[in-house]
Amino acid sequence: MDDVRRDLWRPLQGTSWRYLAVLLPLSMVTLWGLIAWGYQLDRGIGVANIRRPVFWAFYLVDFVFWIGISHAGTLISAILRLTEAEWRKPVTRAAEAITVFALMIGGMFPIIHLGRAWIFYWLIPYPNTRLLWPNFRSPLMWDLCAISTYLIGSSIFLFLPLIPDVAQLARHAKGWRRWVYRKLALGWTGSDREWHALERAMKLMAGIILAVAVSVHTVVAWDFSMAIAPMWHSTIFGPYFVVGAIFSGIAALILAMAVIRRTMHLEQYLTPHHFNNLAKLLLLMSLLWVYFTVSENLTVWYGNEPKEMMVFGARTRGTFAPYFWTMVVCNFFIPFVLLGIRKLRSIQTAIISSVTVLIGMWLERFIIIVPTLSRPRLAAAWGSYSPSWVEISITVATFATMVVLYLMFAKLFPIISIWEFKPHDRVPER
Amino acid sequence: MGGKVSEHRWGMAIDLDRCTGCQACVAACHAENNLPVSNPEQAALGRAVHWIRVDRYYEGEFPNIRVKHRPVLCQQCDEAPCEPVCPVYATYKNPEGLNVQVYNRCVGTRYCANNCPYSVRFFNWFDPEWPEPLQLQHNPDVSIRESGVMEKCTFCIQRIKRAEEEGANNLQPACVQSCPAEAMVFGDLNDPESKVSQLAENSRATQFLEELGTKPKVFYLERVK
Amino acid sequence: MYLKGEFREKEAAARAILDLKAQGFGPDALDVFSNEPVEFAAGILDRPSRMSLVVVASALTFCLLTILFVRFTQYNYPLVTGGMPLFSFWSTGVVFYELAMLGAILSSFIWFLWESGLIRRKNPAPVPNVEPGVICLRVHCTGEQEEIVSQQLAEAGAIEVAKL
Repeated sequence: MDDVRRDLWRPLQGTSWRYLAVLLPLSMVTLWGLIAWGYQLDRGIGVANIRRPVFWAFYLVDFVFWIGISHAGTLISAILRLTEAEWRKPVTRAAEAITVFALMIGGMFPIIHLGRAWIFYWLIPYPNTRLLWPNFRSPLMWDLCAISTYLIGSSIFLFLPLIPDVAQLARHAKGWRRWVYRKLALGWTGSDREWHALERAMKLMAGIILAVAVSVHTVVAWDFSMAIAPMWHSTIFGPYFVVGAIFSGIAALILAMAVIRRTMHLEQYLTPHHFNNLAKLLLLMSLLWVYFTVSENLTVWYGNEPKEMMVFGARTRGTFAPYFWTMVVCNFFIPFVLLGIRKLRSIQTAIISSVTVLIGMWLERFIIIVPTLSRPRLAAAWGSYSPSWVEISITVATFATMVVLYLMFAKLFPIISIWEFKPHDRVPER
Repeated sequence: MGGKVSEHRWGMAIDLDRCTGCQACVAACHAENNLPVSNPEQAALGRAVHWIRVDRYYEGEFPNIRVKHRPVLCQQCDEAPCEPVCPVYATYKNPEGLNVQVYNRCVGTRYCANNCPYSVRFFNWFDPEWPEPLQLQHNPDVSIRESGVMEKCTFCIQRIKRAEEEGANNLQPACVQSCPAEAMVFGDLNDPESKVSQLAENSRATQFLEELGTKPKVFYLERVK
Repeated sequence: MYLKGEFREKEAAARAILDLKAQGFGPDALDVFSNEPVEFAAGILDRPSRMSLVVVASALTFCLLTILFVRFTQYNYPLVTGGMPLFSFWSTGVVFYELAMLGAILSSFIWFLWESGLIRRKNPAPVPNVEPGVICLRVHCTGEQEEIVSQQLAEAGAIEVAKL
């Protein structure tokens, strides 16, 4: 067995006490989130602190945030695949796994936030006793289609390059793992027909998933911009959200890679070179983000339309100003200084920037959703919002769930694609 | 345009010169439509349900203050922003042009409320409660809404249905019936002879947030200085 | 019967394939097994594929079916929409797009399973056990051809030639 296999299979064997010491408490947090949700289902959605006019708050913020994180994988790994960037190879699977799990979590929030969550399936078109089809005109139906497509697509996108690796693992593993790997390998033999089909499918899937990923976050943005609420009804939201999603996705990927590198001792594989490249991408997205943010706010401010200015004022100098300016610092100033100055750019600063970007991007979604709702057109209906313990619990639990799912995945499957990492060299064209 | 078109097109005119802001319409609506009575904590959160409310706007500097009252209820828009965004057709336009809410279809996405520029949609955050003995005076014609569904003014559709079935004349929603100043007029906009049609043609008649193009069926007669 | 030849170098394997092709063995009789993908230059062992065509076709099919489905369902329960059309192409366009993409995704996965042979192996041919770094060429031949094939494999530089 060669070195690459040995190094990358090592994390799959045995379970250390450290692993359990992280996994178990986080599982408890997840469990707590489920209890909070159960309480909400039992008592009514009112245990969340949403009220008129702030009908959407934390749950929708979390929804947009997690869907944004999900852009780590597909977009990044698809773009890097299509451009044949060689340095992507140890990064892609870590990114694609983030996508699938973040989507699973993000996809839960539209259900969690429903007033009657137990009948969420009424959105699905099937012949039913209500003799009623859903309204495909609703942006929420677009969402349903987009997110289901994206989840199916990104799961396949994660699964396809995993097949050769599980086929290898199936030969060496024992017990129940062997059974699982064998089932997942689908009878992979490593023939050139299979390799050809796999490469072709991955090329095509990379293109398709790119188109889907862009559309998914655009549709998420359109949930807001299709409404005529002040500062929501904006054409910039589609691309703005896509940029924000990639931005937070890269940050999540850098964090995940840093953790994998340390805990699984993969320093040789995830090198400073990879972090440097990703940090540069993060910096680029930070600049794009600030460009969009300025475009959005400057046009509103200059236009000086009263209803929009109410929201703008609440954002930039009113109730929500602390969050707004924290967001600007987290998303722009910190990454710009830490990653823009070459001497300061390192794995550590990339990690710090990623953390602030994740905080900043969560706040960005809060800043987009809540101020608009709390300043509706009629001043008589203005309101405020602060979260309840249920909303905070469920939000925190999703972060724990993400880590738990990721840890379990990393225990079952090599987090770095082995076959892609060491392929036979290319021959020049004859 | 699908579906059959009815002979009626219900509308309302509210004379702001006559409105005194007495809130009788609010109380009448509560009694007629089985609106839940919020407890003080929930009301402080902004969860009180009033299908019709009286907005107060102040003009001028103290002590020369002028108060403008404006009763705001569902404007029954012809092009209602709340309708297309509902994924389950819980809110849609009925053949008489009313913007109706089907409680049993509602899954509680609350999108309609976000998209309503008049903020006249109310959500049932919990199962409704009434302090004793108010639960004994429920209107049998109106259903009780469960936790997790949206609700709003219906133009007292139960009265409209009853009038159509029993041929009663002098059809009025509860708010109109109870207005002591007779500021509110309800009627058929398709009937050019009706009082509401004539008031809608009045030079003082405006539609609320007209610039949004929602085409409301509630007309406000503006105050004259 | 099946013969296998193991190679350390890709060039040697390519040589063997070209030699065997000159002997009249088609690409159907030849299979290369390896733990990592081996990319030969064009013209050595091409596997023509219809995947792109299938994906585009099924995306269009899904799109069309979705348009029909949405139109049918909206007219199946016609609601008075207050002047708005029952079926609106533009406001349901996102749904058509996403379902077209779903068609593309599913078809590329299914076509991958089909083209790779993972779901159509009826009488399984013997699969050589390949060590990492080794390229194994499997040849489907008749009893009389055995000698020629073994000779060709060995001449091309196979480190091991054996019956499977």
